[in-house]
Amino acid sequence: MADASLMADMAVPSSTSSTPSKAAAVAHEAPRNAQSVQPLARRRYALEIRQHMPWRWQALILAAALLAGMAVSAAILIAAGVPADELANEFVMQTFFDGQNFRAVLFQAAPMILVGLAGCVAFRARFWNLGLEGQMIWGAIGATAVSMWQIGPENLRLPLMFIAAIGCGLLWVLGPAWLKLKLGVNEIISTLMLNYMAANFLLHLVYGSWKDPKDNFPYSPQFRVFERLPELGAGIGSSILLAGVVALLAWWLASVSRMGLYLRFVDANPRMAHASGVPVRRTIYGAVLLSGAMAGLAGFAVAAGQEGRLTQAFYQGYGFSGILIAFLARNNPLAATVVALLVAALFVTGRSLQVFYQVPFSMVQLIQAIIVVCVASSDFFIRHRLRRVGGEAVQ
Amino acid sequence: MNGGIVLNWLASTPDFAVPYALAALGLIACERAGVLALGAEGLMLVGALAGIGAQIVIGQPAVSLVLAMLAASVVSVLFAVMVIWLRVNQVIAGLALVFFCQGLTALVGSMAEWTNHATEGIGAMGLWPLSMLPGVGRIFEQNAMVWLTLPIFGAVAWFFARSSAGLRLRAVGENPQAADAAGIRVTAWRFAAVLAGSALVGLAGAYISVVSTKLWIAGMTGGRGWIAVGLVIFARWSPWKALVGALLFGCIEALIPQLAAAGVQLPQYFVMMTPYAVTLGVMVWVALSRRGADEEPGALGQPYVREERR
Amino acid sequence: MPNALELTGIRKTFDGFAALTDAHFAARWGEVHALLGENGAGKSSLMNIAAGLYAPEAGQLLVDDNAVRFAGPRDAAKHRIGMVHQHFKLVRPFTVAQNILLTAPPPAEFQSHGERLREITRDIRNKAAELGFDIDPSKRVDALSVAEQQRVEILKVLLAGARILILDEPTAVLTDQEAARLLQTVQGLARKGAAVVLVTHKMADVKTYADRVTVMRGGRTVATLKPQEASVAELVKLTVGESIAAQGFQPSAAPRGPVRLSVRGLRTPASPEGRRVLDGVDLDLHAGEIYGLAGVGGNGQGELAGAIMGLEGEPTEGEMRLEGHGDLKTMPASVRRSIGIAAIPADRYGLALAGGLSVAENYAIGRVHTGPCGACDAAASRATRRKRCAPSTCRACVRSRRRRRCSRAATRRSWCSRASSASRPRWCSRTARAAGSTCAPAPRCTRGCAPHATAVRRCCSSARTSTRCCSSPTASA
Repeated sequence: MADASLMADMAVPSSTSSTPSKAAAVAHEAPRNAQSVQPLARRRYALEIRQHMPWRWQALILAAALLAGMAVSAAILIAAGVPADELANEFVMQTFFDGQNFRAVLFQAAPMILVGLAGCVAFRARFWNLGLEGQMIWGAIGATAVSMWQIGPENLRLPLMFIAAIGCGLLWVLGPAWLKLKLGVNEIISTLMLNYMAANFLLHLVYGSWKDPKDNFPYSPQFRVFERLPELGAGIGSSILLAGVVALLAWWLASVSRMGLYLRFVDANPRMAHASGVPVRRTIYGAVLLSGAMAGLAGFAVAAGQEGRLTQAFYQGYGFSGILIAFLARNNPLAATVVALLVAALFVTGRSLQVFYQVPFSMVQLIQAIIVVCVASSDFFIRHRLRRVGGEAVQ
Repeated sequence: MNGGIVLNWLASTPDFAVPYALAALGLIACERAGVLALGAEGLMLVGALAGIGAQIVIGQPAVSLVLAMLAASVVSVLFAVMVIWLRVNQVIAGLALVFFCQGLTALVGSMAEWTNHATEGIGAMGLWPLSMLPGVGRIFEQNAMVWLTLPIFGAVAWFFARSSAGLRLRAVGENPQAADAAGIRVTAWRFAAVLAGSALVGLAGAYISVVSTKLWIAGMTGGRGWIAVGLVIFARWSPWKALVGALLFGCIEALIPQLAAAGVQLPQYFVMMTPYAVTLGVMVWVALSRRGADEEPGALGQPYVREERR
Repeated sequence: MPNALELTGIRKTFDGFAALTDAHFAARWGEVHALLGENGAGKSSLMNIAAGLYAPEAGQLLVDDNAVRFAGPRDAAKHRIGMVHQHFKLVRPFTVAQNILLTAPPPAEFQSHGERLREITRDIRNKAAELGFDIDPSKRVDALSVAEQQRVEILKVLLAGARILILDEPTAVLTDQEAARLLQTVQGLARKGAAVVLVTHKMADVKTYADRVTVMRGGRTVATLKPQEASVAELVKLTVGESIAAQGFQPSAAPRGPVRLSVRGLRTPASPEGRRVLDGVDLDLHAGEIYGLAGVGGNGQGELAGAIMGLEGEPTEGEMRLEGHGDLKTMPASVRRSIGIAAIPADRYGLALAGGLSVAENYAIGRVHTGPCGACDAAASRATRRKRCAPSTCRACVRSRRRRRCSRAATRRSWCSRASSASRPRWCSRTARAAGSTCAPAPRCTRGCAPHATAVRRCCSSARTSTRCCSSPTASA
């Protein structure tokens, strides 16, 4: 009953609005006397979430963070015994302008780009693929298996190794992916545990049945000539070309393709993606398996490109590097390529520092961590704003 | 002969179980307050190195252990600042902390030349009268740290279950908006939880280096920190269940050398995979047997800003 | 008579968005003072300032005619202000007593935790008996119903010593009887001398229970008046700022077309207590009609809409036959979109928009499921050009757009952009949250599309909206 009358009221045309009713006449009470006014609060700092920050500022803050990170690293290096004036020389001149070192950087960059891309693709699907090292190991194992068991004719051997590497890396991440999507098992722990297991299996192989009978060192017999990635000339390996192609593929996937758009929605709002008809599970599986495949490919690049055999510690440092690259590049494949080159330069420089100044290689890991800490902390200024609140009362 | 192996195994289990137990307890303290602590591996390394360094320099185990706890707490301040003040993604911060500590400890360890420098441990203490039992009595002769673990567990469990401060801390972890509206200072409590939890994790690491192996090697924790993270999930954030889980893992790790001593031929590296495989299995088991009521702290891993507005 | 609580000249912005520009409010002791306004008017923000959760940029706050400044919620509690929020601030795994212990004032002398708990339990029982609540202090909060949780919140603030009680949209989650009971209780508290502020958008509650009402609109206080002396139309006009034009709704003279969708015996899985959200729903939708589904919130309208749209929570029994396509239950959401079922869920931020992505991308997602594998940006730009949306706005995050504008315009646009895509939707489902949103723009859009669409279905919890806007309303209980 009451509803009907209310409805009737609301349905009446707005003739009542022409004459100011009592409603408008009863205004709020006049503001209080100004004498007893005090400031509402002391200067208080309020933290609030910023909605959007222009690109220029973001880049500026990122640059500042990188500089801060490098400054701290430089300080630690100097404390570790590297003469200050030598630092710039080592990092910039020797690395980029020395022919041999530059080739070493390119060699190092190929697997680095691949793990960086693997990280980007997985993180875009909100899947923390920390098992990059394990997938690398299996990629190398797969390629080595093809070589050891001489599968396929000679001219097809390398492509078969390539496929085996991708397949093994992909399979090694399939387990954690399925466990996460089906059962909700935390993928951080599952991929990490698989890392350790893969590392142990690798030791089992290189100390056991796959040990090179010639030297008795813990590595596999050398690959044959046709089982290694060819050189492009001027001493530059083709692995970097491979990495470049994969980078372009990743860029196309992320920015242009439909799957890339799906991934962006899955990352932004999984429920909404599902409601809009995005095949969420397929998209996540696709991204994660691709990530595993790329990491396996990185293992192939190291085994068939750099080392020419399966060694026991080739994967060390790549896991965190992949995460670092993806994080710094904000999951953008092209930026990841550039960052990977810089990280590769860092690795090469780290090795020469180890040789010339006896700085342990773990320094590289420390520098990487410092840079991640600085950049992650700088995100705060991009996402938040500190404002002073409080002051004079209105009167 | 068989009995001897079993007794040896049981007697050595607590030694392997203590690091897991203490690390898991520290993580529980942290995560109950809502801070996802993935940096356990790194903090254990810091504790291990600091413990050995103090032991080499000072030589008093008790002091070394305390200094190790302090060192881990100090390093965790970096993590706490990042995740609580700067609201950095807690997974990234945890990973960064692990790699930071790995690099730092390797660097400091090699520069100070503490690597492979053997030290004295602490002696065994019998739990009278149980240690007087024939045969089985050996199980009850453990070093002081093992016995201390039990009261530590008791204290932390009491704190969470029966104290007002523990209630506040749990509120901070379950629903920081509610806690904030109740006037509880979310930031301060989380900071305290991270520092205290990290101290325990550092103690776990120091146990490995100072008490167990009595030396330092870079990366000696070998993934135990990560296993502890899995253990906390397995234990549903309850201290006593974590203790049970730690004993389980201690049993498994203690079994490995016993099997070798018994002459059982197993591929060495497969045996070394066991703790990791078991952790994986445990995580799957937890996921499969998930009951309706989830004991995970409601706000785990989410930074808190009071004036957030959509 | 002195004012219990007074706020003058309050200004508050959130990252550039001005939530409050010139807000005034004054409540007296012993009265129930309603704060009326629609979604986004600033009522909750103003009261959050009074409760100490937010700090304003300018303005003054007076309690009992003394100027005060709050550094946090504890200060407000010390001044006997207690707020019951719309989203309860309760720790779910804790018991009632433990929750109330968190906010209870510290005891004068040292007490052990167990003693404090016992004392709090006693106090809870006494207070609950006084108010006529039936609350067991040792029960866990997540085992309580919504109405019981709200009573716990009220007990919480009363036991913390509140004399100024602020209730933020208290009846939004209650049935009519529960709401009436609650409002009578708070009215009783006011008669005993407390000051009660009722933040609401429901006219009926204002007219029945409030002694005075302050109307807010767009961050400003518009008027303060006695509800008994003003008509609902005046209140509505003050609240909305525009007159709701007479939209004489003419039911369509054309006869209903054939049945397009028939739902029979739809059931969702039973919960552990044996309750089913949907327990045997039957309905028929004909071509060319707008079908309204009304009922008190929580009776399953949302779930029914979700089941048809293909969102979470699939039903287990029953069937939904779409003409020419068979049973919808077997089709995933992507297939349903492609055959022309467009959906606008009630939970806009959760289910309809991706906040972190640009407007262009949000438009594009409705259109890219078919077609070439690449070139998604092209699809997005086509979609935005259609709607004549400025490129700069398209770049900006959806999240940054003002809440109301978003809920009206963006959702409608996104729906219409999907509607105007190559395959016109033959079937649109729109779930409305009558809470706070005025119903004027929504029916305009749905009715505009009804000639194109085969059948349109709206679910609302307000019977009023249903009967006005739908050609065949159905009440669901």
